Amino acid sequence: MSDLVLHDDDLDEDCYRARLFLSLLGLEARRVAVDVVPGGEQDGPAFRAVSPAGMLPVLRIDGQKVCGAGAVLLALAHGRPEWLPGERADFARVAHWLHFAGGPLRATLLMRRACLFGGAGDAPSARRRAAVGALRIMEDHLAQRRLEGGTWFVGEGATVADVALFPAAALCRDWGEEYSAYPALRRWVRAVRALPGFVGMPGIPDYG
Amino acid sequence: MSVTREGGWYPLMLSADLETGTVAGSAVPGRDLAVWRDGQGRAHVWDDRCPHRGMRLSLGFVREGALACLYHGWRFGAEGRCVHIPAHPDLAPPGTIRTVPLPVAERHGLVWASVGAAGVQPEGDPAMEAAAWLPVRSVRIEAPWRDVARAVGMPEGRRAAVLDRDVDGRVLAALLPVGAGACMLHLLAAAPAGVERLHDLADWGRDVRSRAEERAGRACLAGIVA
Repeated sequence: MSDLVLHDDDLDEDCYRARLFLSLLGLEARRVAVDVVPGGEQDGPAFRAVSPAGMLPVLRIDGQKVCGAGAVLLALAHGRPEWLPGERADFARVAHWLHFAGGPLRATLLMRRACLFGGAGDAPSARRRAAVGALRIMEDHLAQRRLEGGTWFVGEGATVADVALFPAAALCRDWGEEYSAYPALRRWVRAVRALPGFVGMPGIPDYG
Repeated sequence: MSVTREGGWYPLMLSADLETGTVAGSAVPGRDLAVWRDGQGRAHVWDDRCPHRGMRLSLGFVREGALACLYHGWRFGAEGRCVHIPAHPDLAPPGTIRTVPLPVAERHGLVWASVGAAGVQPEGDPAMEAAAWLPVRSVRIEAPWRDVARAVGMPEGRRAAVLDRDVDGRVLAALLPVGAGACMLHLLAAAPAGVERLHDLADWGRDVRSRAEERAGRACLAGIVA
C-alpha cells in the first residue's frame, strides 16, 4: 500500500476508526480534511463526487476509493491474518462484531453527535436506551471473556473487531455515560490504549 | 459490615477491576469518588475533585506513585497531599494543598470505602469469612438498590451478604447505590469454582438486571435506531 489518502474529519468517530487502524498498522496516509461541522461539506457536490452516499471516511488506496469505516477497516485488514483471522470460526466472530459496530452500535454514535453537535442533551430517550443497550452487549461479552482469561473480543489478540468497537466505548462520556458503569469495557479500553501505535482523538486523551 | 442505612462501609468495586497504576470513578450517595491503586498495590479513595481547579481526578492518571490531574498535571501522593506541580517543578507544594481521603479497606475481593461514622473495617459475617471469593463481574442495574437487594434475598439493612438462592453454590453479592434509581451489583463465587460456574453466575447477574429493570420500567434494549 504505497499511496494512501484519507478524507477525514478530526471529530468524527468513524474517521477515527480509520486513523487508529492505520496507526496500529504503522501506515501513513495523506489526510484531506472534510469540514463536517459547521461546513456540512460531506453533503456538497465536491465530496459526493468522491463518496456518493456522503460516507466518511474515504480511503484511497493506490487511487481506488473505499467509502465508510467498515469497508476501510476490512480493506486494510485484508491479507493480515493477525487482524482478520482466516480460520472460519474466528473469521465469523470478527464478522459478527463488525456487523454489530455498523448496526446496533450506531445508536452510540448518533447519541454522541446529537449531544455534541445537535444540542440534544442527554435526556432519557429511546435512542439513549438503545445506545446503553449496545454498550451493555459489549460489556457483557467482555465480562464473560474475562472469566476464561480473554482480553479481546475474539481470540488471543486484538483484531479489527476491537478497532471497530473501540471508539464507541472510549467516547461514551461525550454523551453522558460513565466508565464506572462498565468495568469490563474500562479494562479493555486500557488494553487497546496499550497497543503499539495507538493514537487518540479529541475526547480520547493520549497521555501514554 | 455496618448495618446503618446511610453512611458506613460501601462496596465500591471488585478488587480485580482496580489494576495497579490505574484510577476509576465511583460514588457513594451524594459524593463522587476517585478510586486508584498505587505501585505498591494499595487502594486509595478520594473525593473526585482536584483541589486546584475542581477537575475530576478520576479522569487523571497514575504517575510515579501519585495520582495526576488530567487538567494541569498536579500530582497527589498516597496521603492526598500535593507532591508535584509541573508549572513550578522546583516548588515544594505546601501541605495545605490536599485532597480528602476516605478510609479504605479491601476485603472479600471488594474495595470498600467508609463515609461518616463507621467501624475500623467492614465487618464480615461468618459466612463471608468462611471462604475465599473469586471475582465474577459487576453489573450496572437501572433500578433502586433496595429493590435489587430484596430481589436477590439480601438480608434487611445489609449491602453485602452470602446468598443461598437461585444459583448453585455460595455467592457473595454486594450492592452499591448509584444515585436514586440505579446500583452496581458485584458478584463473587466461593473458591474453588470452575469456569462454567463463573459463567452461570455472570448469566444470573444478567437475569437479575433484566428482571429488576423490567419491574422498574427501565429496560435498555439494543436495536437499530435512526
